[in-house]
Amino acid sequence: EATKIRGMEHWAGGSRSPHAVSPQVLGWRVAAAITWSVLLLPICTAAFIILSGLDPFHPVRWISNSFNDLYTSYVIFCIFLMSMVIIIISIFNIEFYAVVPSIPCSRLALIGKIIHPQQVIHSFVHAIMGMLVTWCATVMTKGRFQFLAVSCTPSEGLEDAVPQMCLNEYHLFFLLSGAFLGYSYSLFYLINNMNYLPFPIIQQYKYLRFRRSLPLLIKHSCVESLHFVRNFCVTYYFFGYIPKVWICTTMDLHTDGKLHPLDTLSGLLDLSLFYHTWLSGVFLLMTWYIAWLLFKIYATESHHFPIQPTFAQETDQCLPKILNSNPPLLIKFLALQDLMLLSQYSPVRRQEVFSLSQPGGHPHNWTAISRECLSLLSDLTQRLIAQQEAAAAANGRAKPPVGELKVPPQTPEDMSFQSQRSNIVLRASMSPLVKPSLMPVKTSPGSDVGSPFSSPALNYKMGVVDIKSPWHGPVQSPHVMRRGPKLWTSVSDQQMNGSHHESFPVLSAARTGTEAVQPRFIYTWLQNKQEQIKTFLSKRALIMYFFSKHPEASIQAVFSDAQMHIWALEGLSHLVAASFTEDQFGVVQTTLPAILNTLLTLQEVVDRHFKLPHVSSKPPRISGSLVDTSYKTLRFALRASLKTALYRITTVFGEHLNAVQVSTEHKKRLQQFLEYKE
Amino acid sequence: MFPHLSGLTLPCAPSRAGCTVRAFAWHPHTNKFAVALLDDSIRVYNSNSATVPSLKHRLQRNVAAMAWKPLCASILAVACQSCVLVWHLDPTSLSTRPSSGCAQVLSCPGHSPVTSLAWAPSGERLLSASPVDTAMLVWDVSTETCVQLQWFGGGGVTYLAWSPDGSKVLAATPSAVFRVWEAQMWTCERWPTIRGRCQTGCWSPDGSRLLFTVLGESVIYSLSFSEYRGEMQGQVGGSKTASIVADLSETTFETLYGEERIGGEVHSMVWDPTGERLAVIIRGHPESPNSQPAVAVFRTRNSPVFELLPCGFVRGERGARPQLISFHPCFPQGALLTVCWSSGKISHIPFFFVGALEPHASPRRSPVPVPAWHPRASPPSGAPHTCTGAGCAAPAPIKGGFSLPLLSSP
Repeated sequence: EATKIRGMEHWAGGSRSPHAVSPQVLGWRVAAAITWSVLLLPICTAAFIILSGLDPFHPVRWISNSFNDLYTSYVIFCIFLMSMVIIIISIFNIEFYAVVPSIPCSRLALIGKIIHPQQVIHSFVHAIMGMLVTWCATVMTKGRFQFLAVSCTPSEGLEDAVPQMCLNEYHLFFLLSGAFLGYSYSLFYLINNMNYLPFPIIQQYKYLRFRRSLPLLIKHSCVESLHFVRNFCVTYYFFGYIPKVWICTTMDLHTDGKLHPLDTLSGLLDLSLFYHTWLSGVFLLMTWYIAWLLFKIYATESHHFPIQPTFAQETDQCLPKILNSNPPLLIKFLALQDLMLLSQYSPVRRQEVFSLSQPGGHPHNWTAISRECLSLLSDLTQRLIAQQEAAAAANGRAKPPVGELKVPPQTPEDMSFQSQRSNIVLRASMSPLVKPSLMPVKTSPGSDVGSPFSSPALNYKMGVVDIKSPWHGPVQSPHVMRRGPKLWTSVSDQQMNGSHHESFPVLSAARTGTEAVQPRFIYTWLQNKQEQIKTFLSKRALIMYFFSKHPEASIQAVFSDAQMHIWALEGLSHLVAASFTEDQFGVVQTTLPAILNTLLTLQEVVDRHFKLPHVSSKPPRISGSLVDTSYKTLRFALRASLKTALYRITTVFGEHLNAVQVSTEHKKRLQQFLEYKE
Repeated sequence: MFPHLSGLTLPCAPSRAGCTVRAFAWHPHTNKFAVALLDDSIRVYNSNSATVPSLKHRLQRNVAAMAWKPLCASILAVACQSCVLVWHLDPTSLSTRPSSGCAQVLSCPGHSPVTSLAWAPSGERLLSASPVDTAMLVWDVSTETCVQLQWFGGGGVTYLAWSPDGSKVLAATPSAVFRVWEAQMWTCERWPTIRGRCQTGCWSPDGSRLLFTVLGESVIYSLSFSEYRGEMQGQVGGSKTASIVADLSETTFETLYGEERIGGEVHSMVWDPTGERLAVIIRGHPESPNSQPAVAVFRTRNSPVFELLPCGFVRGERGARPQLISFHPCFPQGALLTVCWSSGKISHIPFFFVGALEPHASPRRSPVPVPAWHPRASPPSGAPHTCTGAGCAAPAPIKGGFSLPLLSSP
């Protein structure tokens, strides 16, 4: 119990932010998941005991014996021991979970993950735990597997010889199989990204979700156990003598000459041994998978965040506050999921979103929510642009014409979004060379004057965006560096005058000065070197095998957190659609141009992404297995919900959208949507 | 093999004589509809374009239902023998034979034949059901993943209807039970009927009232639901009992063609998107020669109290029996009823009226002024057997003596 609580505190409290909401929301979920998996353990144990004593020829004796065994003290001790194992496994589940899967893009990265110290500890502990579980299994099975050392008489037929202690190789075989299964479980856990928490496509009660997954879980455990035991037999056949000899020497045991050694073909062809090994493997995997499944179900259950605080101390737990802060990712996911649900199903809570603050009359809730959703979406837009640039550079193709994505002039209200976005772009595309000279863009207080959302928090947030996103590092290729500023300066030329303009001469100076002379030389030199190294390496097939990036994996990696964006899209579009009849104060109208711009820009970029080479336009087949691979298809879900979101807005607003200020290009696109021709 | 399915007739089983159109579906936002023909090909007719794409696929066999995805330009889900095909049609394309690469195949072992489909009105999920599979599937079409909604007892699902507000789903089973699912947490209320299985059903526009009919009874039942709010998670909120709102037992009418007997079981029933007109196909008695199937139209009102008034009959050419009926989802001037006749003709019958409610744009109704295509005057170009006008189908005026027991529910 103590271990459990400490583990929970570590998980919930030791997170990266001082939010009060995390222990509250997550602590209970973890506790409930662990409790249920421990409570289900006796049932699994009973099933195991009944099946391990299988005797089809004497069914009555078999059943009565099994039931008698259930109450024995050693079974109860085993259940206690295995509860400890389950708790430890659960703690590992909790420590290793991720809502955004990490996808290794090359084989080398995968190997790096396997030999990462964290993973080594994971594997080691799982191997030990596997050994413990199979030890319990041998104790509960009884019979010839129970003890490591058994008394035996020497084979030489000396009648007066004292009985010796001999090694029971069956027991050793069992223990090693447990360790092997534990290690294999850990390895597959890593390779199949089983630490990824997929959110279900429909909401359902926990019991129903568990019941739905249970048949799959049993089937998966049976098949997996079969594979693992087969692999183990092969391994034992080749290397089994090493542990055998080692145990014999350290414990001073003899080998029983009358028994057949197990590391031979005839020894391994023992059906009963195989059945019992397989059964204990199924038992081990099932109890562990149940713990894993329950944690998944509890952690991804939707949580109801209040929109407006009832009491002053609850301010931190409100949806707008959580969305705009930087909580653990799971909390952020839950908040966005809740946003999607409330926007779709709850008129009362939507009303709270559209409401004005009591003294002052500001639409704080809507502002905070829409700002966060838009910044998420424009962040994705930037990432996709960067990825497309990289793909174009890698293919050596002609770059798409500059200015294609120029940002249209906008109304002053959404200028702030614009400036925020362009700042992110600039920062994303900065090379280390220009970085120092550009710092004023972010820090200069003047650059945000006049925008309603100018606050230190915004700057802070932009910094966060820069740091947390892994995409801003590797994309600082000279291509992007040269193109990035140009892409967005049309705004500065046409629209951003006054305070906004002041920051841009710095940028242009940086561009003309540093970039024009130095990088061109460095760039060509670097590219030559790179080509040389590439051709050198490509001749060595083995190295290429490890280093080559798998295109599909890299695309999956770009969209690995797309679930957030899908919810942001659904939440935003449902809210905007509902605002047509429900928004009494017109708070949504002020952000409508910004929302349309962001969605249409993203739509263009996503469209272009699916036209890239190597990008399949159809999702791969997903077999209905226990291991969830939904992160592989997130990009298709994103594409579909983006289109649906746009249609949702255009269908509701109809001709009224013509009054919204958007660029001519976007207007054309909107017209297409209005005519249902997209 | 499936005793509970013995009495079941699929919407259009191939064996049924005189069946010419397997399925019909209006696009929810535009003047476009799809027709599945007897040879399992699907034609898509569009009022704005002369090209009529014909959809054929290796797996497109025994088409039983079709549904256009809402909030989307051109995605059509087709229920086939072994799978659900989802056609992605390019609305701007001029091709008449879209390749089978445009179709997504959604299949799940044990889930066949698929006979009913329903899209969520928000366009995000697709429901598919089969009379022999006890599980109903909720699909995320974009990723081709599905979730099984399982229950025990009652057999499969013969009919699906998603309420226009997206909150509830009617699922009729082959036994004397139907279920109403609540579409947020996916829990269901079980409704046993007395006589037989639920034959058809339709929802009021706000999802607060369900009208349904039962096999073997010639009455329309009504079931009201408490107003949907997101706060009552996991509750369907149906009232205790269903009430009878119309008795359609056989009656004799004086018509222009002489004396006719109309009445009997209801075969299918549709409610127009404004909630002002209800159309039902009344199946006549097969024994009596005078009795023939007919389309009856009712004038309805849902609030403040439910009202159902007889409005008239729609008749086709002599000998033609109505098979499928459907209302245009966004007809601006009132309601437009489409009837598929056994003769292979499809007729559009407009009802012009000013809605009782202030006409306002809602997600269900496209506010885009569609190029006013007057079905009486000019049929949509390209429709094969579109037969409009009084010669083919005319809402017959009500003759005296036809009295329906009119019940208004509390």
